[in-house]
Amino acid sequence: MNATEQLLDCVMDLGQQMLVCGGEVHWIEESLCTILRTYGATQTDVFIITSSMVVTVHTADGNSYTQTRRISETASDFEKLHALNDCSRWICKDHPAPEAIRVKLHSITAQTKHYPLWLDFCCYGIIAGAFTLFFGGGFPEAGVSLIVGLLMRTSIWLCDRTISNKIFTKFVASLVATLVSLLALHLGFVSGVDKVMIGNIMTLIPGIGLTNALRDLFVGDSIAGLLRTIEACITALAIAGGFFAAVFITGGAGL
Amino acid sequence: MNKLDWIQLCTAFVGSLGFGILFNIRGRRLLTAAFGGFLAWGLCLALGEWITTEPLNYFIVSLLVSVYAQVIARILKTPATPISITALIPLIPGSSLYYTMASAFQGLSDDFVVKAVATVEMAAALALGIIVVSALSRWRVKWKFSGLK
Repeated sequence: MNATEQLLDCVMDLGQQMLVCGGEVHWIEESLCTILRTYGATQTDVFIITSSMVVTVHTADGNSYTQTRRISETASDFEKLHALNDCSRWICKDHPAPEAIRVKLHSITAQTKHYPLWLDFCCYGIIAGAFTLFFGGGFPEAGVSLIVGLLMRTSIWLCDRTISNKIFTKFVASLVATLVSLLALHLGFVSGVDKVMIGNIMTLIPGIGLTNALRDLFVGDSIAGLLRTIEACITALAIAGGFFAAVFITGGAGL
Repeated sequence: MNKLDWIQLCTAFVGSLGFGILFNIRGRRLLTAAFGGFLAWGLCLALGEWITTEPLNYFIVSLLVSVYAQVIARILKTPATPISITALIPLIPGSSLYYTMASAFQGLSDDFVVKAVATVEMAAALALGIIVVSALSRWRVKWKFSGLK
């Protein structure tokens, strides 16, 4: 590989990681163009959608280089995104050699701190409890909602370890949440399942997905926007499916 | 301010904080994002006194909170999206989505349509507020770049 190819390779890695961590398509396209231009590219053609990246860089000596990346899974990791954003600022300012960028990217991947898994579980419970109160539920409902949230996160954890299909996981999570809520209703802990379910739906809902989708569509990234819209709609269907399945199983009492 | 308002303000903060942790936001950025949740709901309640059209209220709050996120992002030198997404969590129409599902299940088709439209309106208002601010901030960046040439 010559120097330009190496540089392109590093920049592609940077872009790929930004996308995987939940960066905006438009913002990543802009970042990559800016970086490549500061290294003297005469023309940059960057095309990114949520599942793929294609970048062509034209150099002053008349050559052009193209690389593509396939992105299979994304998960919001904004701490890493923040570090990658710093890294792209640093590249634009200092023009480091490709090797230096590679070292920096490795150290970002290795050094990004993550919250422990148990805290993730707790967050599901606390968010569910908080939003049950937020939407007008009482403290007994919030308590049940907290437990439902924990159980729901456990079911997600189990699904991730066995089946590892995002849509199916949402279906199971929604099914479990509804079943446990209905059980709590039958045991008399709560007077209605609606507030408990609302608190738990907040953690499942593709609200962020849909917001991102609409934003991509409005700024002109039509394909990325459509992909996200379809994903959000299917997720919403899976949640509704889990809910309906659970209500059917129990006979439809107590909505 | 009644009791429910206070509960909502506190739980909006806790909810945004929880989501911030799920999104792996840390330190000062986490606190500002969670405060954004508190701010978003506070604005929603305050503006709700004058603006009775809910989607319009959501749109204005979404605008203001996105501006807040942009300012914080400039100060902390970080992307704005994580902060605005986390701060706007309390405005996600989860309750209205649930009642839409419930009326679909009970076969109340008129009720379903009314609630589904309300849910989509709120979500669209929220997204539109974010889009307007992010478009404006991008415009400023472009203007800055062309000035450098």
